[in-house]
Amino acid sequence: MSAQQAPLLFLVVGRNEPLYCAEFGKTPGTPATAQTISRQQYIIMHSALDLVDKCAWVDGNMYLRNVDQYNHQQVSTFVTACHVKFMLLHTGKNDETLRVFFNEIYELYTKLSMNPFYKFDTPITSKQFDARVKAAARRYLS
Amino acid sequence: MPKANTELFALTYGSLVTELIKDYDNDIDEINKQLDRIGYSIGVRCIDELLSKCEVNGVDIGPCNSFQNTAEVVAKIGFRCFLGMTCDVTNVTENSFSLFLYENPLSIFVELPESGGGGLNDDDGGLNDDFGAAAGGSGGIKRLEWSKLKYSNIYCGVIRGALEQVNMKVSCNFARDVLRGDDVNEIKVELKEMLAEGAGEEYQDE
Repeated sequence: MSAQQAPLLFLVVGRNEPLYCAEFGKTPGTPATAQTISRQQYIIMHSALDLVDKCAWVDGNMYLRNVDQYNHQQVSTFVTACHVKFMLLHTGKNDETLRVFFNEIYELYTKLSMNPFYKFDTPITSKQFDARVKAAARRYLS
Repeated sequence: MPKANTELFALTYGSLVTELIKDYDNDIDEINKQLDRIGYSIGVRCIDELLSKCEVNGVDIGPCNSFQNTAEVVAKIGFRCFLGMTCDVTNVTENSFSLFLYENPLSIFVELPESGGGGLNDDDGGLNDDFGAAAGGSGGIKRLEWSKLKYSNIYCGVIRGALEQVNMKVSCNFARDVLRGDDVNEIKVELKEMLAEGAGEEYQDE
C-alpha cells in the first residue's frame, strides 16, 4: 500500500455546472482538516476551467495533459467531443496511466449517455456509474 | 429479411419510451398500457409474417395441438425470427406458460432512474449552487415510482396481438424484470378463451 496521500478529486463538468464528483483515496477518520482541503481543491478546479477551455481549442486531442498547476497539485483534463470535461486533481501521476484511466471513464460515460433516461448535461446520479468509476480509480490511481 | 442494428433498435425504442413518458406526463400506468397497445398493433402483423416466412423457408409449424406447442412456437421460432434471440418456456399448464428471456435487446443500455425522484421534463435540470452530484428534484416535482414502469411491455402486446389473430385470447404481463432488480425477465402468458373461428355477425348468412 502506498503511503498516506492526499485524496484525489475527480469532476465531470458539463457546459454550465459539475455533473459528477468523486473523491478517491479518502481515508475515513480525517475530519475537519480534510474538509478545508476539499474546499480548496474545488476552488483550484474552478479556476482551472478557463485554462481547460483555452487548451481544448488549441490542442486537437481529447486528452489534455496538465492544464494547471497549483503548488504541488496538478490538474489533468480530458475533453469529450461534446465539451464535457473530466478533470482530475492529483499530485504527480504518470501521464500514460491517467490517459488509460480517462479513456475508461470516457467509455463509462458513453454507456451512461446511451441510457434513454439520462438527459445530456444533467447531473449524473447513476449508482452503477459511480461504482464503476470508483473501481476504475482503484485500479489505476492507487 | 432486412436486419437492423441492435444498438440502433435499442436506442430507437428508448427514445420511444421517453417520448411516451413526456407525452403522458409521467403517468406510469398509462405508459404501460400504451406500450402494450403499440405491441398489440405490431403483433397483429407479425403473425402473418411469421407464418409466411416459415412457409417460404420450409420450416414446418403446422397447427398447434396444444398450448404448449403454441408456447414453443412463440419462444423458439417467433422470437428467433424477429429478435434473433430465443427464450425458454417454463411452467406450462393447460392454460398458461412462462417465457424466460435471458437477454433483452431492447434494454441493453437502460438503467431505470431512482424511484422518488423527479420525472422527465423539458425544463432545465435546475440550478445547482453546490458542487457535487445533485440528487433528484427539490420540492414540488412529482414523486415517481419508476419501478412500476414495464420497460419491455411491448413484448406482452406483441404476443397478445399475434395470438389473438389465431383465435387465442391471452393476457400477458411481466412477472419479473431485470431492470427492476430480478435476475431474469419472465413473461407470464395466460389463455383466457379460444375465440370462435369465422367472420363477424354482419357477414353471417341470413
